[in-house]
Amino acid sequence: MNKYIPTIGIEVHVELKTATKIFSNSINGYGQMANSLTNVVDLGYPGTLPTLNKEVINLAIKAATVLNCKIRKEMHFDRKNYFYPDIPKNYQITQNETPIGYDGYVEITINGEKKKIEIEEMHIEEDTCKSTHRSSKTLLDFNRAGVPLIEIVTKPCISSGEEAKLYLEKLRELLYYCDISDCKIEEGSMRADANVSIRKNEQDPLGTKCEIKNIGSISNVAISIDKEIKNQIELIENNKQIKQQTKRYDDKLGKNILMRTKETGNDYRYFPEPDIPYVILTEDMIASVVKTIPMLPDERRKVYQAKGVSELNANKLVQNRSLSDYFNKLLDTNINFKIASNILLGDIQAYLNKNEKQISDTTLTVTRFEELVKNVEDKTLTSKNLKDILVTVLEEESSISTIIKKSGIENIQDDQALRTIINSIISSNQETVNDYKNGHDRAIKFFMGQIMKETKGSANPKLAMDILLEELKK
Amino acid sequence: MKYLNKPILEINKLLKEKVIKPLDLVEEAFANIEKNKALNAYITLNKEEAIKTAKELENKEVDNILFGLPIAIKDNIITKDLRTTCASHMLENFLPIYDATVVKKIKAKNMIIIGKTNMDEFAMGSSSRTSYFGAPKNPWNTNKISGGSSGGSAVTVAARDVFLALGSDTGGSIRQPASYCGIVGMKPTYGRVSRYGLVAFASSFDQIGPLTKNVYENALLLNAIVGKDDNDLTSADKESEDFTRLIGKDIKGMKFALPNYFMSDIVSQEIKEKIISVSKILEKLGAKVDYVDVKYLENAVTLYQIIAMGEASSNLARYDGIRFGYSLPNPTSIDNLYYETRKTGFGKEVKRRIMVGSYLLSGENAKIYYNKALSIRDDMQKEFTNLFQKYDLVIGPTTTTTAYDLTDPMDDPLKSFLDDVLVIPVNMAGLPGMNVPIGFSKDNMPIGMHIIGNKFEEAKMYQLASCIEKELNLALTPGGEINE
Repeated sequence: MNKYIPTIGIEVHVELKTATKIFSNSINGYGQMANSLTNVVDLGYPGTLPTLNKEVINLAIKAATVLNCKIRKEMHFDRKNYFYPDIPKNYQITQNETPIGYDGYVEITINGEKKKIEIEEMHIEEDTCKSTHRSSKTLLDFNRAGVPLIEIVTKPCISSGEEAKLYLEKLRELLYYCDISDCKIEEGSMRADANVSIRKNEQDPLGTKCEIKNIGSISNVAISIDKEIKNQIELIENNKQIKQQTKRYDDKLGKNILMRTKETGNDYRYFPEPDIPYVILTEDMIASVVKTIPMLPDERRKVYQAKGVSELNANKLVQNRSLSDYFNKLLDTNINFKIASNILLGDIQAYLNKNEKQISDTTLTVTRFEELVKNVEDKTLTSKNLKDILVTVLEEESSISTIIKKSGIENIQDDQALRTIINSIISSNQETVNDYKNGHDRAIKFFMGQIMKETKGSANPKLAMDILLEELKK
Repeated sequence: MKYLNKPILEINKLLKEKVIKPLDLVEEAFANIEKNKALNAYITLNKEEAIKTAKELENKEVDNILFGLPIAIKDNIITKDLRTTCASHMLENFLPIYDATVVKKIKAKNMIIIGKTNMDEFAMGSSSRTSYFGAPKNPWNTNKISGGSSGGSAVTVAARDVFLALGSDTGGSIRQPASYCGIVGMKPTYGRVSRYGLVAFASSFDQIGPLTKNVYENALLLNAIVGKDDNDLTSADKESEDFTRLIGKDIKGMKFALPNYFMSDIVSQEIKEKIISVSKILEKLGAKVDYVDVKYLENAVTLYQIIAMGEASSNLARYDGIRFGYSLPNPTSIDNLYYETRKTGFGKEVKRRIMVGSYLLSGENAKIYYNKALSIRDDMQKEFTNLFQKYDLVIGPTTTTTAYDLTDPMDDPLKSFLDDVLVIPVNMAGLPGMNVPIGFSKDNMPIGMHIIGNKFEEAKMYQLASCIEKELNLALTPGGEINE
């Protein structure tokens, strides 16, 4: 296996989250009745002309920026001509000569090491319509026709399915965090094609490549790439020729299925789109878009960990953008972030998941959360207390202290008072003290039970335990 | 009583005073069209709807100079609920569901659309003979071509069915038929008039413009159709202006350039003589006419064809039988649907241009031909820009000959080259160009002068054109009728 070096390039199409389509004012929506989101422009009616949605340009500038691309200041659109029922004008408006972004990269961490996945270029284009094949007929839904896309093309610099997977995860996270796309692979708003080839030595020219199209999930990208690499190695080992083919990954069969064998290159008869004048980007325009880019995921992880959040929790927070955005609002306070992250990712997230809510749907303002964390930190609230009052905290608006008071929680904070109770329990249960000294662990349970009984459950368990052990050692 | 032959101001006055109603004008127009049926100027008449609109207008205030006037629209301009065929079998039954921007503007002025005029199929041709519906005939001699591609619009105005029409000009298609038919035709600056709803032939050249019986009415119609359109990114953001404002103004001190190429052997002797006699009149009026050399003029047609056919091959790809237009019944496969629909739906000239255009964009050819042509087009524009630093306008003949016989061969490449050689440089440079009649040949066919302006200087062109019109005072009604 190690004799071969796989080379993989990935093309990703991402649907942009704009209100309207790229070249018309039709709604950009998903899951609506077929052909309800179309107009004469989308259908390529005679006489119609494209307009240009500025939002698309702005999102593309954003994407180019977070993918570390250089941004082209003067660009045009091109027509890619080909006959297929899914493209209403029989040409696609795209950017062939002057992609808006080029020479970028996305950084991944593989086996503890950082690697830059280089981006060759990213360009803007229109999506095609959706065709559904039913026996001998093909049904066309033009709702998707004219939805804005960016296509992101890597250099052939990826060397395994795992790297491809990490790249796509990183890409998805970046685009999602910047509100460029919702990146839902299952709804087709993010689609990946992989070009795979192998060769024996770094110095050799790239081998014949196979393209795997429209892979349905990120994990399947890794699986299908690794299967293709294995397949190509087997072919070479058996002295067979690799043909330039287009395949698709079949999830059910777990196999790459041949779609077609390419005989000659396609001739798309590209030429500059005469209906759309050159687009000129000024530094000011770019700067005003860049300004809207939020703190990116990697930066968030770094900041959270610097504030004392565990790596695990930092990752979990970043995985949930609304929680992470919420957490960012706390960053200027001086609460205990470790505790804050535990509460947010523990009981609160459980509540949100159970009730299918977002943190913004609750009454938990930053100020109230701050108060909540402080009460947990100074042990006014035990984890059990927290569970008891959580629904009230998240659904009502009164202050945390009021809620604590109302719910009758008054933890015995005073060490001395608690110590007196504990000492009295110890002295009246000398036999159990002996059990403890003889190594019977259940003695502790007994004492804790007694303490809780005596304090009606209001003692802070950790504190009680600490004092108990201390006193028993005496 | 006939009203459509009267000057527009008089008609407007009669309408305002309720001496006549829009319906009188509409009925007169349809009577004229019926009388001149043999000219084959129309593909579709809008009779019912026009009469209905005319009646509705009776209750409305006459609020503008174009109110209630009948207008003919070239059949490549999209009209809602009114068949728009582009003179092609492909769109023979195409009933649009929206209005072109210019049509909206026409309707906003309460003008009345009389019908859709005949033309070359998809505007591809110079004689309107590529029409699926047969060629229109020249009112001055029905054995002669009307010119094209806006042949029907030129014919209906020349025959005085109506006196206002819209055409489109990609490579001379307004000016050349206007010249052959003895009327005024203006191709405005590229971007002046919205192309939204003009069925695309060659997007970077196509432009809608007015064809009328005289200069003043032409300027008035242009007033009504110009303006920035959010639906057309190539439309120019220009303040509105009155194109009649310089009409009647003295041309004394103005400088005109007459390119030597326009007066070379490619142009017939009698046309050249007419141009010379007009330029003498201009000089007499205190203007200066200089013979100049202009680079690239002789290359314009070749370069134009590369760009126009390339764009056309792509623009016409949408006629595939799937969403609109002719469709092969019971296709056996998608390829079968494509091949047969396009084979049957398009005529010979259209298919020829699609094939040549596809070849020109194919593989490396796009770089060798199309991109190179675009770059020389830039040079041509610069050449004209320099010329306009020294001269107010450029003048010359519109055509090399007068209208020729309908029976002349259609596949003579030299002839079709000469048809457009004088008008195409204007499209290449994105400039405004117009035809104004300046007389007749020995066989009584109209001869026209071509006036070319700098970008967005249509008003100045109307100034010169109206001056020539006034000086020559030609009787321009076919059959020798004298204008009232």
